[in-house]
Parts: sequence; C-alpha cells; structure tokens
Amino acid sequence: MSEDIKVEKVLDLKGLPCPMPVVKISKGIKEVEIGQVVEAITTDPGTLTDFPAWARTSGNEILKTDQTGDEIKFYVKRKV
Amino acid sequence: MDEKTKTELLTLFKNKLNRAMRYYLDTCTRCGVCTKACHAYASTGQVRYTSAYRHELVRRLYKKYFKLQGKVWPAAGEAKVLEDMTIKELYDAAYSCTGCRRCMVYCPFGIDTQMIMSIAKLLLVGASTEPELLTMLADMSIEKGKSMDVFKESFLTGIKKLEGQVVEKWRSEAGETVIPIDVDGADLLYVALAGAHSIIPAAAVFNAAGEHWTLSFFEAVNFGAFVGDPTRTTLILDRIISEAKRLKVKEVCICECGTAFRVMKHLTGPQPFKVSSITEVQARYIREGRIRLDKSIVSDTVTYHDPCQIARNGGIIDEARYILHHLTDNYTEMTKEPKYNWCCGGGGGLVAMGEETLDFRMTSSSIKADQVRKTGAKILSTACENCHTQLGDLNDHYKLGVDVKFLSSMVADALVR
Ligand code: SF4
Ligand code: SF4
Repeated sequence: MSEDIKVEKVLDLKGLPCPMPVVKISKGIKEVEIGQVVEAITTDPGTLTDFPAWARTSGNEILKTDQTGDEIKFYVKRKV
Repeated sequence: MDEKTKTELLTLFKNKLNRAMRYYLDTCTRCGVCTKACHAYASTGQVRYTSAYRHELVRRLYKKYFKLQGKVWPAAGEAKVLEDMTIKELYDAAYSCTGCRRCMVYCPFGIDTQMIMSIAKLLLVGASTEPELLTMLADMSIEKGKSMDVFKESFLTGIKKLEGQVVEKWRSEAGETVIPIDVDGADLLYVALAGAHSIIPAAAVFNAAGEHWTLSFFEAVNFGAFVGDPTRTTLILDRIISEAKRLKVKEVCICECGTAFRVMKHLTGPQPFKVSSITEVQARYIREGRIRLDKSIVSDTVTYHDPCQIARNGGIIDEARYILHHLTDNYTEMTKEPKYNWCCGGGGGLVAMGEETLDFRMTSSSIKADQVRKTGAKILSTACENCHTQLGDLNDHYKLGVDVKFLSSMVADALVR
C-alpha cells in the first residue's frame, strides 16, 4: 500500500491477461464511493496503457502507478 | 419506446439493407436444415437458439417496416412491431449467437445469421442497450489511438520488460533489437494483443526466422466489431491501418485473435500491404526453412480446435495442420471436415463479457466439450484468444483433463537453434 493514499479496496488482478484487468477494475471501481480509491495489482504489461486509457474514457483518475519487479500497482480514484 | 427513438432505429436498420442482407431476409424457407447446426441448440435443445429463430426476429421487423405486405397486412406477413420487448428479444438472440457461421455452411441458400445478427446488434447500440462492457473496451481502444503520445512511454517500458522472456526462447545476436517497435520500412507489422502471452512467443519466432519486423503500438482485438458498432469498428481498425501505412510495411500480421483477423482481412478494403494471420506466417517460415521445429518437445497426443473466424470464415485451415505435423507425429483431428467444426461457444463478445456469460457459455457448449473428450488428446491447441479462454473454461467445467495451448507458443517452445 502506498504511504500517502488511503485505499478502500484492493483488487488482486495478478496473472490475468488483458483485457480482464480492465474489465475487473471497471466493475470494482463501482463498489467504492466517489472520492475513494481502489488499489489494483496487475502483472500484465498491457495494463500500463489499458488502465490510463480506460481512466480517461471512464472519467476516473489514476493517482499513482508503482512498478516493482513484475507487479504493477495502480491507485485509482473513483471520480464519477 | 418513443417515436423519435423508433425512427432513429429504423434508419439504422434501413442503412443495413444492402443487396446481400435483403437476400438473406427474403430467402429463408424455414426448411430447418440449419436447426442442429448451432452448438447452442445442439447443447441445450432450446428452439430460441436455432439460427432460423434468431433471424426470424429481425425478419419480422423487416416485413413490418420495409416490405409492402407487412405494412398493409401485418398479420399475414407475421410482421413485428418495434418496441421495448422486441429490443429485449433481439438482445437474447444476438448475445447468444457467437457469429460462428456454422449454420451458414448447412443452409442451402447460404443465409448468414451473423450478418443478420449485426442488424440486431446495431439496433441495440442505437437503443443504448448493448453490453456496456464491450462499448467501454472499444472506447478504451479508440482512446489509445487518439492519445498514443501520452501512453507511448508506459508502453515502451512494458515491452522492454518482456525482452528477457523472449531471449529465453530465442537468443538474439548482440546488437539486435529483441522487440523492435516503430521501425520505418520494416517488412512486417505484428499486431498483438495487449498481453505478454501474445507478444513473447511471436517475437521469438520472428527473430528466429530473421524477419524484419516491428511491433504495433495497438492491440489487434476489435471490441467495436464484437458490439456491432460500425463507427467504433472503423476507428479501432484505422489506428492499425495508419500505423502500417506510416511505417510502409508490406505485410500486417494479426496475432491469434479470430475477430481481429476477420475484421482486418475483410473490412480494410484495398491497401498497400497484405494481411496475414500468424498461423499463415509461421507455416510459411517452416516451408521456407527459416525456422525448424524439434518434434521431441511435444510427447502427448495433440488435437486442434479451428477458430471459426480463422478457419471457416477466414480460410486458414491447412496451415495449422502443416505446423502441427512439424510439431508432432501424434496429432489427431477433432473433426473429419474442419469447415464443419463446432464453435467453442465463446465468440461474438461472449468471452470478453467474462463471468456475466459464463453459465450460458458452459451450457451452450457441452457439444464442444464432448467433441474434445472424444479425441482422447492431452493437448488441445488453438490459434485464437477467445477460443483459448473459452476452451480453458470448458476444460475446468467439464473436467476434460487437457492442456489448452496456443499454437504459436508451441512453435516458439519447439524452435531449433
Ligand atoms: S437452412 Fe437456411 S433456409 Fe433453411 S431454415 Fe435455416 S436459414 Fe432458413
Ligand atoms: S452463427 Fe453460430 S452461434 Fe449463431 S446461430 Fe449460427 S451456428 Fe448458432
């Protein structure tokens, strides 16, 4: 978990090939309130472009992206 | 449904009525030959899953609004009024059809249910009742095309991370780029899926064959086609066409994704490049002696599922067998005539809709599970992402005990230095 961001829900999307991580985050984000944050953990490098593109079209915001080893962590704030 | 919506939907319907479509809608004699051809009917016995039942829904609207008989004397023409209930029925018909066209090869008139269902899907888009998820994925793809500069750096970082895994399969020479991107004047543009599994084995085989290739910035899959939205389909397709033209490539090679291949092959019109599937390209490398495969790698019996959009609807049948015969002496066919192979039950956007469609995908495809089981094979290979996911789900659900593999990965794992 990132120090400065309060995470409401964690989605473990490791091992899922694209587009499933986007499918899951688009559902998962609706399970928190507007203003709250979902942490999504993925391993597929395709998510590095899929997530920002999805955030733009869906109107949500990626606060931060962390990459450690094979894991990619997205902190996504529900905006709509 | 208000009159304005109805008028808009009927305009969409009318725009779909080209000669071929009118022929399909005018011709069905209800002979019933196609009844058992649909895997969904064959697996469940439910009449609403026969192809003729599906297109009759569209045909009755056609009779009501576009044929004199239906306009003047609706009852005799079995015409149907466009209303909210009809939209619901169209949804059920369209999103239980995988567009596999197995029914079409049985129909004496060659009636194309997939084409007729494209009217149903378009009406659903017009009424904003299409599966939201597919539109969301299509919009994501379009956004990537519009804002590539914004995403470029993360894309390059992601791809860089895969190089080590490519080299494990095929060691590149010093100074060679393992995964070339944005190479002006490359011979071949490879359009993969967003996932690593679609890039790593393909890259190893291209490098082994000494191909002058470059990886596309965009993913091949066309969610616009799944949702039956011509505008989104074209926008997604255009990203790849522009990239291919900008780089002046001679060939666009589509990864193991049936819909991507069909859309690219049949909807691009005349272009300065040719369109191939990765199966065709890998078969060509073997034929030309550019790669050699080690037959000792695969020891179990292998069978192959022909993806509908690549085989029946794309004509790529012999190439897969050619590759398989270079991979193993232990190959067994799933069906005598690949053209009539059962659909896996996952196409038409059903797999992309994930868990939402899982129950239906499993019940409507028991016939496919039986077909796989009867082969006695331990390895089930295929060349389409959708099929691979659906076959994996069937494997778990029906406890088939097979190992579902991508054909291109099998090629990459058997490369001889
Ligand atoms: S086989 Fe062709 S003509 Fe006969 S019912 Fe089916 S679609 Fe109609
Ligand atoms: S196209 Fe395939 S899924 Fe659709 S009705 Fe025909 S056989 Fe069934």
